Amino acid sequence: MASLFSRREGSAHAEIEERRSATHESFLSHRAYFWARVSGFLSLFVVLTYVLVDVEPRHNGGSWYGYTLGTVGAGLIVWLSWLGVRKRRPTPGSWSLKGWTSAHVYLGMSLVVIGTMHTGFQLGWNVHTLAWVLMMLVILSGAYGITVYATLPQALSENRREMTREQMIESLATIDRQLEAAAQPLARKDADMVIATLEQDVFAAGIIARFRGPGGRDATRRALDHISTDRAYDDDADDLAQQKVRALLGKRAAQIDQIRRQMQIKALLEVWLYIHVPLTIALLAALTAHVVSVFYYW
Amino acid sequence: MSFLIRTIDHTATGREIVRDREVEGDRLAIGRATTNDVVVADLSVEQHHVVVTPTKRGLLSLEAAGNRDFIFDGHRHKAVTADPARGGALTLGLYTLTFAREADGRTLVTVTQEEREFGDRDAVRGFDLASAMPGKRAAAWIGVLLILGAFLAVPIWSGLARSDKQPGADGPDQVAWDTSWSTGKLSLAHHSLENNCEACHVEPFVSVRDETCLSCHKDIGDHAKRDRLAGARGPMGTGEALLWQVAETFGKEGPEACTTCHTEHEGAGRMEPAAQQFCSNCHDAMDTRLSDTALGNAHDFGTAHPELQAVVFAEVGSDETRRVTLDGKAREASGLRFPHAMHLSETNGVARMAGNLPGYGEALVCSDCHSPTADRNGFLPVEMESACEDCHSLVYDKVGSTFRTLRHGDVAQMRADLIAMDRAPRAPFTRGLRRPGEFKRGGRYFQDFGRPTRNYLGIAQALSEDGVCGECHIPTTVAGEASVMPVFQRDHYFLNARFDHEAHEQEDCTSCHAADTSSKATDLLMPTLATCRECHMGAEAVKAEVPSTCAMCHSYHPPDFRRRKDGPLSPKPGRIAGLLSIARGRE
Repeated sequence: MASLFSRREGSAHAEIEERRSATHESFLSHRAYFWARVSGFLSLFVVLTYVLVDVEPRHNGGSWYGYTLGTVGAGLIVWLSWLGVRKRRPTPGSWSLKGWTSAHVYLGMSLVVIGTMHTGFQLGWNVHTLAWVLMMLVILSGAYGITVYATLPQALSENRREMTREQMIESLATIDRQLEAAAQPLARKDADMVIATLEQDVFAAGIIARFRGPGGRDATRRALDHISTDRAYDDDADDLAQQKVRALLGKRAAQIDQIRRQMQIKALLEVWLYIHVPLTIALLAALTAHVVSVFYYW
Repeated sequence: MSFLIRTIDHTATGREIVRDREVEGDRLAIGRATTNDVVVADLSVEQHHVVVTPTKRGLLSLEAAGNRDFIFDGHRHKAVTADPARGGALTLGLYTLTFAREADGRTLVTVTQEEREFGDRDAVRGFDLASAMPGKRAAAWIGVLLILGAFLAVPIWSGLARSDKQPGADGPDQVAWDTSWSTGKLSLAHHSLENNCEACHVEPFVSVRDETCLSCHKDIGDHAKRDRLAGARGPMGTGEALLWQVAETFGKEGPEACTTCHTEHEGAGRMEPAAQQFCSNCHDAMDTRLSDTALGNAHDFGTAHPELQAVVFAEVGSDETRRVTLDGKAREASGLRFPHAMHLSETNGVARMAGNLPGYGEALVCSDCHSPTADRNGFLPVEMESACEDCHSLVYDKVGSTFRTLRHGDVAQMRADLIAMDRAPRAPFTRGLRRPGEFKRGGRYFQDFGRPTRNYLGIAQALSEDGVCGECHIPTTVAGEASVMPVFQRDHYFLNARFDHEAHEQEDCTSCHAADTSSKATDLLMPTLATCRECHMGAEAVKAEVPSTCAMCHSYHPPDFRRRKDGPLSPKPGRIAGLLSIARGRE
């Protein structure tokens, strides 16, 4: 009976799993927000007990309640960090990576309450508060990550306008090839502008430039301005090359803007991990220092 | 003279296409302009860049057509002469023009072109932020090493490696960089230890010990013996009990340790008095746990506190004290007669007299007679000379314009003074005879030889109920002679609490001490608990005028009781509260 029962339960589970993957379900809404509810109840419970439990003389990380929250919080932090290892081994089932991620997100949020109540709002310039600050930064960066994952992919696909990234690069190359050919008749000064344009590497943008996005002053725009404005009155029909170069520079600028916008959205999408991951590791170090120092100077 | 131009191109698959053409003339123009003999379609090349002309000896002269130089055989030139027979390469942008001599004497110019790469398929990686950011792994490692180094390794290493591991060590023997471990500023009293963590945290992973506290606080008395403390403690909450169980497993000293009540690192300022709960943990229903205790149960001043008790002189003429409950009926026996109400009246003869005397107001007030002790907690005993004598004069004689006054406080002296007073009328020594001249009564040499009966009468009168002494004192007989009862006054009444009069300065005396209605000196004018509670309620009574913790009046550690007037001023380390039961009812 027992084996039959478990098999039936297993097949039911597989069915649910199948249904779940058939219609895409975000890790946020996984199992009808199960982990969101768990986290919400946990946070509420902690806030209520914090208010109701009478700790003398005041709430403090060293009271029995403080130690309890501290132990739970430290355990949570270690478990949450474990996602970095766990994510490399996707498995199905109730502990699927999606479920794990869902729990990671929501339990991570509840850590704001657990960690802060553990401090008893006694903060200062010390290693203990360092751990709390790092934890808050990690959670904030994570929350940012969730937010951009929920909103930016649409902007990303709108910006792509059905083009792949390879096609964008290819398009730029095509424009460059045309530009080089079209610029042959140009005078030295103009040609130099075009050379600078062709030598411009749109991907060499630094961190700040990536976040700034499209519209920045660059070689292409300088060439465009140079040829457009400096020669506004030479716009005669004879100078076809100039017109052609101008048109191509315009196209190039537009293409670069699209690439830049793509990079900008990507940067906004990816930057949180550069805070989240190193700070998590730093947090683990600070947590170790916090726990050891508390008991070293007990 | 002609030039053979050989152009070598590559197809997309890499196959070579070789095209030859001939240029007639003595001049080969090379540049970007289509009018040149050799068109170099590279934007870095001038429209007219180089002109090649043969010289007489079969050499070639290359000259820049404009300002720009060119590269020939790897060197920059504006003009150069080359021998085509020995070869030579002119580099213009991506183009290379090699010169050679054909067998027929023509100059062969081979034009090859490096393919310019437009776009790079690998560039898609450039879309990712990763191509511009420093690696996460490196940042993580740096963070970990910095934090573990600065906040863990340095303090631990310097703590273990220092040579002099004394608690108060200075300079190089102090633990380095442990300031970051401090959870908060120390109280003002411990401020000097702020950078000397190891003064209290002596051993790694060992909680702060009582002995460490007592190494400075040498004179502090114990509240009670440790076993009695443990026995008095009420049941703990589940969480607290669990915490202590865990803490004691790891070597904490237990709930009776100093650090249980005195928490540090709570921020600069005065050290917080221990919370009410620390007292009530034991004193709430303590008689159920310590059946022999003399102390009443207490856990909140506003709701559960025994009636106040005062230490008084209970019997007239005896300096023995007794504790009495202040229930409004309590009496003391100072040995004085003194109606407070009469003296504080604003209308009677006392007030009239005060009004007529310099240094007094329209009527007497408390401070005319009572002056505070130096600590302003209590009041000094009232002294006759400074407090009473302005009105209650002991003058018994006048010589010229000077009054003679009896000495207060010494009955024998008073007796001697009065007996020796020679101006009291005496019965004449002889009858019917009068001494003549200056020897007669009133004369310069008059001497009174009669018996001093009146003097003795005067003494007896003074010491009687209605005499000058009996006004304030209770007459008695000592060894057959008339005398008065000795007087005993207290300057403090509480045994286990202190009352700070200075803190109550804005109150009228009579709002607590009902002196204005007291007609007997035996009235113990001490307020009852109810009077205190008009303002003071327990620590959690937020609506009370003064929420009061136990520590407002009581000290956990035995204070300086001054149990006798000549008692030692210093705290008594041996004194513990447990001994109170022995001295029950007595001081």
